[in-house]
Amino acid sequence: MTLRSPEFVCLDLPARYAYLHLVSESLADMLHLADGVADLETLIYNVQLATHEACTNIIKHAYRSFDQGRILVEMIVHFEERLLQIDLYDTGLPFDLESVPEPDLDQVHVHGYGLFLIRHLMDTVTYTAMPDRNHWRLSKTFCARRCQTI
Amino acid sequence: MDMRTYSTDEIHILEISGRFDANTVQPVATWLEQTTSTPGARVLINLTDTTFVDSTALATLVQALKRCQQMQGDLYLCGMRHPVHKIFELTRLDKSFNIFSDKDCALQAFVK
Repeated sequence: MTLRSPEFVCLDLPARYAYLHLVSESLADMLHLADGVADLETLIYNVQLATHEACTNIIKHAYRSFDQGRILVEMIVHFEERLLQIDLYDTGLPFDLESVPEPDLDQVHVHGYGLFLIRHLMDTVTYTAMPDRNHWRLSKTFCARRCQTI
Repeated sequence: MDMRTYSTDEIHILEISGRFDANTVQPVATWLEQTTSTPGARVLINLTDTTFVDSTALATLVQALKRCQQMQGDLYLCGMRHPVHKIFELTRLDKSFNIFSDKDCALQAFVK
């Protein structure tokens, strides 16, 4: 099936781990609409994992013990540009993404892989602490079958 | 997520089906803490039917590996799906864990 207009899905979720599978399933369904994507299984898995890690970061760190928080998840696939863009909004505590160092991969760590995975599985990752909410933007372009996906 | 545990030839085997992540990790972490705290424990985690592994799950596996090694035991992984294995490669955790293609290969490695 070839679609020309972008596919847009929006989820307004309680900030709880139990709901994050809904984000993964939406991403898979959206990307399955694209034609001729190289290594689609890995692409889907990688964007699911990066988005899941960003949501987990929001639940664990932005909301901490506050159990009434929500995450607004906006996902859009631009089929013509072969671009997936994910916007996440929360009203929890902000943090400085740039201040978090990369883990030393020559050492085995118990923690610290979450942000590393987000950064390395997506093409671009931005985080903006706005006056009324925080905004993650994760973007990934996907290739036709003739090129290689990481 | 479903988890199944059993033992064969004194090897403790854990099979995880579905998503292994922050939402489902607790029973796995509890079982691994009990099992890997025994001196010389031999533990195999079969990920053949595991569809998703997040950083919380990775942390649980690393903790279990470290505990097992401190107790002179062995902890092996097997049956990893291709995208999951790619994440182990990206984080270089594939250098720290003994990873086998399937359960039979892992069980043979315990015997050697």
